[in-house]
Amino acid sequence: MIFHTPILTLLLVSALAALVALWSAGFGLSVLRRWDLASCSRGQLMMERRTELVSTLFAMVMAAEAAALSLFIFNADRMAALFVGAMCAVGTLNVNGYGFPALYAQIATFFAAAVWLVLDHVDRLGRDYPLTRAKYAAVLAIAPLVLLSGGLQLAYFLNLRTDVITSCCSKLFTPANAGISDEMAGVDPATALWALGIAGGLVAATGIRALRSGRGHGLFALAGAGYFGAALVAMVSTIALYLYENPNHHCPFCILKPDYGYIGYAFYLPLFGATALALGLGAASPFAARASLRAPLPAVMRRLTLWALAGFAAYGLVTVWVILRSHLILFG
Amino acid sequence: MSALNRQRALLDFTVAALARRRIKNLALVAVFATVVFLLASAMFFASSLRREAEATLAGAPDLIVQNLSLGRQAMIDAADLPKIAAIRGVATAEGRLWGYYYDRISGANYTVMVPSAADLVPPPGEVIVGEAVPRVRDFKWQGTPLFLSRHEGDLVRFDIARTLGSDVALISADLVLMNEVDFRSFFNVPAGKFTDLAVTVRNPRELSTVVEKASAALPDARFVTREDIARTYQKLFDWREGVMVALAFVAMLAFAIFAAEKATGLSAEEAREIGILKAIGWDTRDVIAMKLWEGGLVSGGAFLLGTVIAYAHVFWAGAPLFASVLKGWAVIYPDFRLTPAIDALQLGTLLLLTTLPYAAATVVPVWRTAAADPDAVMR
Amino acid sequence: MISLHGVSKTYNEGRPNQVTALHGIDLAIAPGVTVFMGPSGSGKTTLLSLVGCMARPTTGRITLDGEVISSLPERFLTDLRRRRFGFVFQRFNLIRGLSVLENVMLPAAPLGEERAVVEARALARLESLGLAGKARMPVEVLSGGETQRAAIARAMVNDAPVLIADEPTANLDTALTHRFLDIVAALRAEGKTVILTSHDPRIIAAAPVTAVVEMQDGTVLEVRS
Repeated sequence: MIFHTPILTLLLVSALAALVALWSAGFGLSVLRRWDLASCSRGQLMMERRTELVSTLFAMVMAAEAAALSLFIFNADRMAALFVGAMCAVGTLNVNGYGFPALYAQIATFFAAAVWLVLDHVDRLGRDYPLTRAKYAAVLAIAPLVLLSGGLQLAYFLNLRTDVITSCCSKLFTPANAGISDEMAGVDPATALWALGIAGGLVAATGIRALRSGRGHGLFALAGAGYFGAALVAMVSTIALYLYENPNHHCPFCILKPDYGYIGYAFYLPLFGATALALGLGAASPFAARASLRAPLPAVMRRLTLWALAGFAAYGLVTVWVILRSHLILFG
Repeated sequence: MSALNRQRALLDFTVAALARRRIKNLALVAVFATVVFLLASAMFFASSLRREAEATLAGAPDLIVQNLSLGRQAMIDAADLPKIAAIRGVATAEGRLWGYYYDRISGANYTVMVPSAADLVPPPGEVIVGEAVPRVRDFKWQGTPLFLSRHEGDLVRFDIARTLGSDVALISADLVLMNEVDFRSFFNVPAGKFTDLAVTVRNPRELSTVVEKASAALPDARFVTREDIARTYQKLFDWREGVMVALAFVAMLAFAIFAAEKATGLSAEEAREIGILKAIGWDTRDVIAMKLWEGGLVSGGAFLLGTVIAYAHVFWAGAPLFASVLKGWAVIYPDFRLTPAIDALQLGTLLLLTTLPYAAATVVPVWRTAAADPDAVMR
Repeated sequence: MISLHGVSKTYNEGRPNQVTALHGIDLAIAPGVTVFMGPSGSGKTTLLSLVGCMARPTTGRITLDGEVISSLPERFLTDLRRRRFGFVFQRFNLIRGLSVLENVMLPAAPLGEERAVVEARALARLESLGLAGKARMPVEVLSGGETQRAAIARAMVNDAPVLIADEPTANLDTALTHRFLDIVAALRAEGKTVILTSHDPRIIAAAPVTAVVEMQDGTVLEVRS
């Protein structure tokens, strides 16, 4: 364990998130058992008011997790100096077997909380709160994820040992190494960009169709998830090369550093935000036919779809801009 | 648009409400800012120490070979150099000359060394000094020569070629750099002897193999890797920062409990107001949002105030509150100025560490007030 | 427009201090000026809070323009209430430390309208109630009658079709009571519905009143119109 202030902060965030998750899960159980909007009892009214607290807490958890996610990477990058062989966040995350799982779990938690908030938003549009049971069933599924993410993070920090020799991004993200990361790095740049372009086309097509017809948000969510994957592959295999102007540097984390003008945030903020919205829309779409949602829902879905499309487009535009501006020539 | 208007209207009310209880809220911000100040000072201070150490270590060799005699470090024979250089994986190996010099005039200890980088080697009869040396010697003008005396009646004159910048001040402040001939004659070190050997290896992963082979070749030597030093520094700084942050954290916790107390035991006046707001049509959400604005303004204000004062305290005033705890080094250091070393990581950490406990401590009491019955004021 | 069917309200259900304030009320409130009268403890105020969507009945149904509202979640009830009803409380309940105008604008805050639009509406309402000159003053400087008129301006700032007032003249002398009745008549002329509670004979006999609901021990004794 390294006694570092950012580590203490991250653990504090995890602990608070775990507390919220446990409490909400307990409350979720009683909602599943006793929720009855037709009842005018005091107990039901109290439960209704308690859902306001849960919504507020989840919004806070999502905001804190999003902040913690960038802090986690930032801190890993900063700690690289402590580990032999580590040059950026990748090396630090590789110091023990919990680093990358902790990162992935945290990303999953962020998406889960965001999707839940979209469901919550949709639920509160309907005069009979049509999604309440589904929403609290989802809380029961999200709670273990939050706990797992906190646990992985704790295990990662407790097992940080400075005498371990780790490998840096140039080792991990090279086609010569076995594993997912190098397969991503090994994808041919042209293929990766084509895939990103096709995914972008699908997202645009499904998104516009959803905007026009007010339906098909499930497909839009699928296309969005596909775009997310394609965007990450393109980042590791191609965009990173243009950014660093180096045909062998594939790291998706170094772009978050001040050395590159924090440009990584211009990529990841819209991408993560748009993906979260798209997934949320997909999760809400099965409920669109509910009687109480028929009037208020389409306008909201439309607005969220527009925001998601804007986010995906921003990622694509930043990509094009980076490639045009770069001095590296991969195709010529 | 209407969501924005709503937030703006809620914010308007919050500001008016805060202004009405000006004294109470200013006191709250002041207490909160003090806690943030402690936390921020500890972090700024420790991180600038850490950065100085990192800057120094960046240029340090991968491995240092020292000769042990009677369990103490002794001069090492130049004949050992080829034995190390011959090991596979060693990129460079060179002998280093350095030592300490106690300056009776200023009562300070200088580190005297022969630099390995050619551009740092001064011409004969001249030295390059760290920024603290002219200061403790009270040199009034450029070009004052440095006289060093080894014993009563002895005086050796060196002209100062230049002074090192203060970007790595903590580690280099007490440096005196000489060329090899001057060093050997000043300290009376015979040719063929070095203080220790500095080794760099091609691949850091092979360092342990190199150390293994080297210890077979030189069984009496001691091997110190850069990571050993880095870890020692880091542990020292981390431990010290940890102690301070733990203290500040306790203060933060105490404040969070205080804030929760305050939010729970709302004054009758405030509770009545929230009752009125609910009665005239504010929703539970509206009240929560208004209260979150309030918390945001309080903790944001405390964050700004505490951080700015901590910056001034650490980087302008030299951290008088706890420099002695954290530094506690040689006599040469007390009035040296830290190089500002703050970055987005620290500020982000600090912001999260400021706002999160406050929000967490107040959200439940806030919700409890907001969930009041709207018809309560009619009863 | 507002109808109650078998409405009961019990406070502190299941606790030793349980009290039933209303027993099986059936009532329809038509546009006009309706007064709930009866001794204190007869359930007037509770009935007012149910009619005004402040609380949900323990049993029974309430409909507003044909829509059942008694089982709506609190959030929608609140939303309905702030668009349809304006409230004037017995003790007026202005918030001290804020100006008259700020107080009047408060009910509009959650609705997200343009600030300038709300302010113009609030000023117009204050002007019609003779308070234009005091808009920027703190509420502490207002007299009793002015405080009530500020409270009426606040109740009407969202242009709600129904004004609800609990014991509006309990703290007023005769002259101010007449002034209040003039305001009620003016609101009536604007097409607003007004619902009051009172045990003041001057109110019950007043010209604009269209219906009187006499209550006792949580039941309706008689409805005169």
